[in-house]
Amino acid sequence: MPTRQRAPRPSTGRARTTKPGPQPQRQPSTDDPRIMLDRQVGALYEPIPPYPTRTEREGEFYTLGDGEMFLNVGPHHPATHGVLRLVLKLSGEQVVDVDPVLGYLHRGVEKICENSDYYHVIDQVDPLEYVSSLFQEWPAVLSFEKLMDVQVPRRAEYIRVLSGELLRVSSHILYLGFYALDLGGLTPILYSFIERDEIVEMLAALTGARMLFNYFRIGGVNGDLNHEFMSRLGDWMTRAAKEAESQATLLNENEIFVRRTRGVGILDRATALRYGVTGGNLRASGVPFDVRRAHPYSVYPELDFNIPTRDEGDSLARYLIRIDEIRESIKIIDQCLHNMPDGPVMASLPRLIRPRPGRAWGAVEGPRGMLGVYAISDGSDQPFRFRIHDPSFLNLETMPALLPGSLLADTMTIIASLDPVMGGIDK
Amino acid sequence: MAVGDRESRGRKAAGRQLAPLAPGELTAPIVVPNTLWQAADPLAYDGGQPTDVTHLREFGLTDAGRNDAARWGALQVIPTKADYIVDLIRANSLWPLLSGLACCAFEMMSSATSKNDMDRWGMFPFRASPRQSDVLIVAGTLTTKMAGPLIRLWEQMPEPKWCVALGDCTVSGGRYKRSYSVVQGIDRVMPVDVYIPGCPPRPEGLIYGMLQLGQLVKDRRGHWTEREIGPTAPDDI
Repeated sequence: MPTRQRAPRPSTGRARTTKPGPQPQRQPSTDDPRIMLDRQVGALYEPIPPYPTRTEREGEFYTLGDGEMFLNVGPHHPATHGVLRLVLKLSGEQVVDVDPVLGYLHRGVEKICENSDYYHVIDQVDPLEYVSSLFQEWPAVLSFEKLMDVQVPRRAEYIRVLSGELLRVSSHILYLGFYALDLGGLTPILYSFIERDEIVEMLAALTGARMLFNYFRIGGVNGDLNHEFMSRLGDWMTRAAKEAESQATLLNENEIFVRRTRGVGILDRATALRYGVTGGNLRASGVPFDVRRAHPYSVYPELDFNIPTRDEGDSLARYLIRIDEIRESIKIIDQCLHNMPDGPVMASLPRLIRPRPGRAWGAVEGPRGMLGVYAISDGSDQPFRFRIHDPSFLNLETMPALLPGSLLADTMTIIASLDPVMGGIDK
Repeated sequence: MAVGDRESRGRKAAGRQLAPLAPGELTAPIVVPNTLWQAADPLAYDGGQPTDVTHLREFGLTDAGRNDAARWGALQVIPTKADYIVDLIRANSLWPLLSGLACCAFEMMSSATSKNDMDRWGMFPFRASPRQSDVLIVAGTLTTKMAGPLIRLWEQMPEPKWCVALGDCTVSGGRYKRSYSVVQGIDRVMPVDVYIPGCPPRPEGLIYGMLQLGQLVKDRRGHWTEREIGPTAPDDI
C-alpha cells in the first residue's frame, strides 16, 4: 500500500508583510468609519444618550420615575427583524414607554436614485423592500410611466401581477414563520422557507435573480415567461393551496400561539387611520382599504378577488389577515394564468429617457401596505426628486401607541405582528 | 482514551527493545492504547509491531514523525499539540452568530433552513449571543452607524473566531459605492477571512464559502493565534 503523501498546503493567515519604504498616510475624512467608531464606542449601549436632551419628549422619556428602569433592545437582536434598536422604559415587567432608534440601515438610496438615470433607479430601489423587492420596483416604474405617458402592454401587466402575487405569497408565508420564530417556535420557519425557496427559484428562472430581481422596466418587463418558470409554477400551483392551509394549521391550532397573540397589541381603527397605517395591519383593524381596489392600477380591475378584513385589531387578527391574503393571492395567480394574453412584454421606448418636466405619484399595494414613489422630473435623464413612501415605517410608528401597558414578552409579539422591513424604514 | 500505568505498559510491550530510561526522565510515560481505529497502512508504524500500545518516546526513535505518513489515518498515534487537534474539531462545527443586517440575511437564513441545510456540515446553530459563536457572517450592508455595534459584537466573540463577508456591500461597498453612509467594505473596520461576492449570493455560495472557511481553519491548524486582529484592508486603498 503506498504511503499517503499530501503536499503541504501553503499557509495562509500570517501577518501581512508591509511594503518597504514610506507608507502612504490615510487622510481622515468625516465619513471615515474609524472616526465614527472613535466617536461612538463607549457611549453605544448606554440607554441614556450622551448629550443633553433636545426635545421635551426626549426629556420626559429619559427621566426615570419611581421603580422604573431602561432596557436596551437591539440593534443586534434576533427578534427585531433587522437592525432596529428600542429603548424600553420598564416598570417591573410592564413597558411604560418606548424610544425607537432608527437609521442603522440608512444607505442613502433616495440620493443615489436622484443621481442615477431612470433605468438604473429600478435596480437601486430593489434592496429597500428586500423581502419582496418587485413591489418596490413597481411604484417606481409606475410613476415613471406616468411621467412618460407610456402605455404598458397587457401581457406585461399580467406578468407583473403574476410575479407580484407570487412574491406576496412568499412574503406572507415568511411572515408566518418569523412570527412563530419570535414567539419561540422553530418549526414553522422550516416549512416557510420550503415554499419561499420554491417561489424565489421559479422567479429566478423568470428574472435571473433570487432576491433583488431588477425585472420591471419602464413600459413593461425584462423578459417573457419561459418554460422553466411555467413548469415550476404549474408544479407549485398543484399544491400551493394545500400547503398554505397546512401552514395555517401549524399555528392556528396552537394554543400557546393563540394565547400569546389574542388581545395583544390592539390597534383600534381610529389610531390606525391617524398613524397612516396601511396594508394588512390596517385591514386587521376593520378598514377595508386596499390600493388595488381603492386606487386601481395595472389589471387589477379585471381580476376577481376579495379584500379580507377583521375587526379585532390585535396581533392574532394581523396574523389571520395574512392567511386570508395568501388564499386571495393564489386565486389571483390562477386567474392570471387563465387570462394571460398574447403580445409584446415591452413598449417601445427611447434608449435614453428624458421625461417632460412634471411630477407623478405611483402607488401599489405591497405585502406590508402601500408602497409609493413621488418622482419629480426636471427634463433631464435623472429624476430631480425621488421620494419613497414605505409602509413599514408607518406601521412601525404605531409602536409607541401599542407597546405601553403591555408586558416585555409581548413587545416581540407586537413587533413581529407589524411585520417591519428595516430596509424600507431606514432607506 | 485511557492512560495506562507502568506495569501494564511493561507487560504489553514485552519483548520490544526500548532505550532504558535515564534517571530523572519521565517515570510514568503516557501510554495511549489504540482501540479506536485500524491503521490504513499496517507498515506505517514500527514495521508491523504489535499496535495495541504505542508510546510517544518510542515513536520519537523512528523517522515516522518526520515524514508525511504521520498524518491522519496512517498511524495509531498522533504526536501533536492540543490546538492542532482542536482546530480540526473547530473546522467541522462552525457556529455562526445570528446577525442579519439587510437583504443577505434572508439568503443566510435560507441556507440554514430546509432546502439548503447547512446543518449537514455542522454550521447550523445560529447562536443569538456572540459569546457562544465562532463565525461572524456579516450579512448585508454595513452602515457607519451600525459599524460600532458590529465591531462590539466582533470583540465580544471569544477567540478563535472568524469573519465572513457575505454580499457585495460587505466585500467592497457594492452597489452603495456612491453612498455617503455605507462602509466601503467591512475589511476597513474588521479582519475578514472569507469574501463571498454576489448581490445577494445564492445559499450555495454561502455554503461554499463556509466550506472554504473550514479548509482555512485546517490550513492554519495550530496557528490561530497568529491571525490578524485589525482591519485587513491595506492602508492605501
